[in-house]
Amino acid sequence: MAVLTREQTTPGTAGPLPTDGLRRRRRYTADQVPLGSLLLRLLGGLVVLVVFLLPYLIMFFGSVKTKAEIRSVDPTYFPREWHWDNYLTMWSTPETPLLQNLISTLVISLCATLVVLAVALPAAYYTARFRFRGRLVFLFLVIVTQMVQPAVLTSGLFREFIAMGILDTWLAMILVNAAFNLSFAVWIMHSFFAGIPREVDEAAQLDGAGTFAVLTRINLPLVWPGIVTAVVFTFVASWNEFAASLVLLTTAGNQPLSVALTKFVGQYETSWHYVFGVSIVAIVPVVLLFMAIEKRLVGGLVAGSVK
Amino acid sequence: MAQYKRLGGIMAITLATATGLTACGFGGSSGEASGGGTTLDLLVPSYSDATQGLWNDVIAGFEDENPDIDVNLQVESWDNLESVIATKIQGGDAPDIYNGGPFAGFAEDELLYPVEDVVSEDTLADFQPSFLENAQVDGTAYGLPFIASARALFVNDALLEEAGAEVPTTWDELLESAKKVSELGGGVAGYGMPLGSEEAQAEAAVWLWGGGGSFGDADEITVDAPENLAGAEFIKTMIDEGATQADAGATDRSPLMDIFIQGKIGMQVGLPPTVGQIESDNPDLEYSIHPIPTEDGSPFTLGVADHLMAFQNDGDKQEAITAFLDYFYSPEVYVPWVQAEGFLPTTLSGSDQLADEEALAPFLEVLPDAQFYPTTNPDWQATDSAFKALFGQLDSKKSAEDVLADIQAQVDAG
Amino acid sequence: MKDLLKALPWIGPAVALIATVVLFPVGLMFWNSTRDISQSGVDKGGVGLDNFATVVGFDAFWPILGRTVVWVVVVVACTLVISLALAALLNKAFPGRRLVRMAVIVPWASSVVMTTLVVHYGLEPYFGIINSFLVDVGLIDSPEGYGWTRHAGTAFTWAMVVAVFVSLPFTTYTILAGLQTVPGETVEAARLDGANGVRTYLSVVLPQLRGAVSVAVLINIINVFNSLPILRVMTGSIPGYDADTVMTMIFKYMQNQRQIDLASALSVIAFLVVVVIVAVYVRLVRPLEEV
Repeated sequence: MAVLTREQTTPGTAGPLPTDGLRRRRRYTADQVPLGSLLLRLLGGLVVLVVFLLPYLIMFFGSVKTKAEIRSVDPTYFPREWHWDNYLTMWSTPETPLLQNLISTLVISLCATLVVLAVALPAAYYTARFRFRGRLVFLFLVIVTQMVQPAVLTSGLFREFIAMGILDTWLAMILVNAAFNLSFAVWIMHSFFAGIPREVDEAAQLDGAGTFAVLTRINLPLVWPGIVTAVVFTFVASWNEFAASLVLLTTAGNQPLSVALTKFVGQYETSWHYVFGVSIVAIVPVVLLFMAIEKRLVGGLVAGSVK
Repeated sequence: MAQYKRLGGIMAITLATATGLTACGFGGSSGEASGGGTTLDLLVPSYSDATQGLWNDVIAGFEDENPDIDVNLQVESWDNLESVIATKIQGGDAPDIYNGGPFAGFAEDELLYPVEDVVSEDTLADFQPSFLENAQVDGTAYGLPFIASARALFVNDALLEEAGAEVPTTWDELLESAKKVSELGGGVAGYGMPLGSEEAQAEAAVWLWGGGGSFGDADEITVDAPENLAGAEFIKTMIDEGATQADAGATDRSPLMDIFIQGKIGMQVGLPPTVGQIESDNPDLEYSIHPIPTEDGSPFTLGVADHLMAFQNDGDKQEAITAFLDYFYSPEVYVPWVQAEGFLPTTLSGSDQLADEEALAPFLEVLPDAQFYPTTNPDWQATDSAFKALFGQLDSKKSAEDVLADIQAQVDAG
Repeated sequence: MKDLLKALPWIGPAVALIATVVLFPVGLMFWNSTRDISQSGVDKGGVGLDNFATVVGFDAFWPILGRTVVWVVVVVACTLVISLALAALLNKAFPGRRLVRMAVIVPWASSVVMTTLVVHYGLEPYFGIINSFLVDVGLIDSPEGYGWTRHAGTAFTWAMVVAVFVSLPFTTYTILAGLQTVPGETVEAARLDGANGVRTYLSVVLPQLRGAVSVAVLINIINVFNSLPILRVMTGSIPGYDADTVMTMIFKYMQNQRQIDLASALSVIAFLVVVVIVAVYVRLVRPLEEV
């Protein structure tokens, strides 16, 4: 029976690791880890916890303050009164229809992610598996895309989408987000596919499966963590996108949250409590999503970084 | 085997296209008219929380009277407004009616209708002549005066009394009073000076013109003229001697006004809507409104007018535009709009109707002495941007002369 | 050729997407950089390389370029160092580790704009929470706090702090993943040889993280170079150009001065700089070995 070091037996971090199937239940008793070390780790963990959560706590407390309290020159740490009704009133602000903005953000991010998946998966698979003339050119093209961001290309994008007749539609931003996140997705999935030994493919082909079947039935399950990683990155990137959305989506209802929030910095007063409330509403589901897939994420990054 | 590959490829393409089309299907609108007839695109900034509601009311009333014209409203914050309009024009998708400040650049590029083409004679005759003159490029007016404001000095009487300071009429008196208030300590500042990018050009006008200078006229921008130096250097003096709040160079007017309303600033230049703001945010504030101090005490105020302008685009909506503008400027529609926002009307009928408004009285008083930005100079937009980007540098080691020279350089390069 | 045709159904959609949405605007950007475009966006004719001359001849150009280098180097380096430490901590067992790992995810899951807005709010004088905390603790004299976002130096520094903060989750998780692949035996072996914790880390663990680290650093370099919202929010109210990087300058040309031609020229320069950086990095570090 192999001796497992503490570093190896970490439950809950699934990934393609070669273990001999031995997982021990964690016990954080002093006889396993020296007390001094444990206390230090606890302290470190506490510091990290506070530092990472502090801005969001400020956001949360701010979201339940009144407008007067949040811009008062004598700021309060905790709200004097908890105005949960802010979460109701913030949907009907005159500056921007926040509910539509939230929907817009969700739709654009989700669809862009789907498009990226649909387009990057076959491309990554094929370039990882087959050599063909122009393969390197294609990969180079993909990398170049990574370096350019929509922000600098706004006027070109604007003119182009007018010509195509789809300006101020979600489709325009979906295409933009998909195109600019394509390279990262291709790259991640490519390295995953490349990590699967050819023998696996060949064995399946000997059994009579065509390329497509090999992709779906054999490879996909193995590269699942990579797909999850690519999906997450694309989603988050689309969620964050600002510059192109500002220019391509002109009707208030079509704009995503990143643009809508800047409208609160209006000519007279900034409704910080609404800014924070909307932020919390936008952040919580995504955090929950991340938490749900955390295991896969680590696994995905493991294989992605193993060359 | 080969057919699997092709099948796979076809499926991939189909999947991608399908996703795209589906998204298109429930994508946002692109502003199509709901029935036959004309659609007007109206692009406006928000002056306050109420702006969008006010416009919606106007549009509803207009569409009732003109069932074959639909109006599409787009509201942007002032921050975004100018980049949205610039990109729209670039893309050949300019709105039909635009509410903004500078317009001479558009006029120079021949993008606008002369106003006489888009309003009736009666409407045109109702404008205050000085405002209309100010909207002329080479003798033709391209902008319709929309709302006007004048500036005046808001004074926190309680603070000044506590500090034993007098309400100033000249710069020297201002410096003295402001210093006394600042010395009260406790986070209080004597004079609130916003040189930040939000509206640096307004504060600049207050000081540079108050010292006898000017930005220039319809033909030439002269920011670096020696007459402007007095004002710029006095700003530096105010900052250096502690008469202003900290970090004047990066402070924006609106947030600073907020601090004034909460009673931490002795004096600050404000506009008509500020009265309503104080009323709603801190009605207990003891304050009064006075003319802006100038170098020698002579009367002066900064007059600002925003404009409505009509873009020609394909040239086929002239009638619809005229209908809308005539509707909007009719006193029953226009005056309540201006009043709700707390601004000054630019029409003669408007001035008559609002002459008794107590809140507007101090501003109407100083209006005759108003000087305006040289908005009819095609370089005004560039000048406006240059002030916003660079004027705050007066709050630094740079000399006043250099700051003005920098601004002039950026204008000339544009 | 036949190979290429066979590949088309697989890479076709990707090529189409990139061609339409990326290449055309890039081409337009290069084109615009050689034109004179008015403030209203009307194209007035070709001017060759004049725009480039104007952009490079601008007083603040070289400081801006230098500041961009500082921005990228400091943010990426700090992110890397802190991430290494953080990942090492998160790899060790202690009660509540799951909670801490979740907390580290939060900045990643939040929009960068939102995180920056809350920090900006906190740093405002008069009503900012962070400022008032510093006043309460006694670190700042003036009762209204200090105008952190009003001075180029401090605003830029805080922007770097925020940039590191939002880059930490991704980098930490990438390194954490890498740590999971470090076989326990190598660490055991080093320990048996008498090496202490730090020594083991530096000479055994770190080299094995090379793959993960090099990937993370490359992605960070590109993202940080192209970063706009953080700087725009944090340094947006500062006059002049003392806190600008190449990206914010491009936007100032575009939105403040409305000179699309100069913005395009600067964008071309930025584009070329990124290409060079990435090319050099890839050549030196080779994170894409088997591509």
